[in-house]
Amino acid sequence: VKPALQVRIGALELRNPVLVASGIIGYGREYERLVSLEKIGGIVTKTVTLRPRAGNPPPRVYETASGMLNSIGIENPGLEGFLETKVPILRELPCAVVVSVEGEDVEEFCELVRGVDGSGVADAIEVNISCPNVGPHGLMYSTDAGLARDVMSAIRPLTRLPLIAKLTPNVTRIAEIAEACEAWGADAVSLVNTFVGMAVDSRTRKPILGTVLGGLSGPAIKPLALAKTWEVVQAVDIPVVGMGGITRPADAVEFLLLGATAVQVGTALFADPGLAEACVDEIEAYTGRLGAASVEGLIGSLEVPEGRGVVRAGRGTRSAKEGSVS
Amino acid sequence: MTLVDCTVLSNREVAPGNFLITLRVPRGFSKPQPGQFVHLRVGVECEPFLRRPYSLEGFFERRGVRAVRIYFSVVGRGSKVLASHPVGATLDLIGPVGVGFAPRPRRTPILVAGGRGVAPLLFLSRRLQERKRPYVFLFGARSRPELYGYREVRGGRLHVATDDGSVGFRGSALDLLEREWSEGGHTPLNAEIFTCGPHGLLHGISDFARSRGIRCEASLEGPMACAVGACRGCPVPLLPGEDSGRYPAMCVEGPVMDATRVDWERLP
Repeated sequence: VKPALQVRIGALELRNPVLVASGIIGYGREYERLVSLEKIGGIVTKTVTLRPRAGNPPPRVYETASGMLNSIGIENPGLEGFLETKVPILRELPCAVVVSVEGEDVEEFCELVRGVDGSGVADAIEVNISCPNVGPHGLMYSTDAGLARDVMSAIRPLTRLPLIAKLTPNVTRIAEIAEACEAWGADAVSLVNTFVGMAVDSRTRKPILGTVLGGLSGPAIKPLALAKTWEVVQAVDIPVVGMGGITRPADAVEFLLLGATAVQVGTALFADPGLAEACVDEIEAYTGRLGAASVEGLIGSLEVPEGRGVVRAGRGTRSAKEGSVS
Repeated sequence: MTLVDCTVLSNREVAPGNFLITLRVPRGFSKPQPGQFVHLRVGVECEPFLRRPYSLEGFFERRGVRAVRIYFSVVGRGSKVLASHPVGATLDLIGPVGVGFAPRPRRTPILVAGGRGVAPLLFLSRRLQERKRPYVFLFGARSRPELYGYREVRGGRLHVATDDGSVGFRGSALDLLEREWSEGGHTPLNAEIFTCGPHGLLHGISDFARSRGIRCEASLEGPMACAVGACRGCPVPLLPGEDSGRYPAMCVEGPVMDATRVDWERLP
């Protein structure tokens, strides 16, 4: 008997816990000949902003040791272009569709959430409050619990769709941000977005990326991503979607073991377009080996020695919520 | 465009630091156009992590066996690993990808190659020869060892230049083009340019073409992550004008593009 792989993220039901991360697979059509979408849980779209964005000047990508730096700058057609040209494509996809949105301010986040909700195409919304490549506002909202609260509390009343807050790892205590998102209505948090990174060409004495700084992803960040995910699963009760450096199918299992309800496959899909499907197969096989009837038996089953690995930053940091109630 | 396994049929150093690798591809790999490329997973594990885009030097089909050929220089991590694969090794590739060269009827194609940029132009020259179309092939390189493949140019008029004068005319491919244009009786109405090489050379050729109103297609080179138009990691900056507010993706709107629209100053 095959184990059940369904998981729930708020009201979002996924046939299995594997999603493709935002910015990897465009709006679904680009990879249609290389990825079998009917086999995976779903995709997260390239982030949509209110106005169209041309993106950052080149070079935008650079390979580092076991990783990739990028500074794409959310090149996208804007909300209107998205509704007109991308929604009809997304409607036809044989998997869950999570639409990623990013506003420059709270008002823009609201307008985007209203627009995406009204399109009827989204099964959930990922709130990208963590892009390092669009100027100061990109990272701002997920580096401060109060600002994360401002966004979440403003958009929560506007939609019944599950809201997944995507967090940056570029903070000292990520649990604090996750707790603020939970307190103000997020149905889940997803993490990690990229680590801020930089590459230098000593030959030309110039930075390599067109924007100097970029975001690091790929296998190099997996241990860092696991640690951040570990910190967050201990701090919140809502589902956590783990990602960062998943390169082999077994990597996806690691995130589930430490408590993530689902995972997102990112950069490594560029090298191995079959990776997301392979992760599904591996999760199924691993659950079967555990003797569990459902993947729920795998999630959070990491055996940690009593009292070890506790991140002190968790819990007791509810000030974001309490502060504003008073 | 599909993802297919391929097998190394040969892999040899044809000049110091320059390799020619032949990869057998399955029938599911569709016939590529000159100028198109393949996105090759050169490493077996994670070194290097990302795929590498390689322009095709040729496509061959004999007795049901399909093969693509790539001419490459060892310049970095990816090409170093690619050079090390023995005959019989299995790799995988995505391809054919991108927009290739599009010669128009009744115009003389002038092919201008710089260094290892000769690869897609050799592919194009064979296609032109098959179609019995006359063409001009101009090939500039630093020195003799870099003049890969010029003896194979058939059916076209060939001129060679080297920076050091070791073979042919002493000068660059652009010098050859200027001379050919003034002496060959070409006009923008009866000739067009197809070029590939270092971006500095392409910049010069593009300026030459724009100032005379000559149609000019160039094959560009740059780092790519997905190569299917999804990640937007390979933007091509355009000169001010129509469409300059956006960045076409080199992978799917190129790598062959109208050279006179490219803003070479902003292209790394």
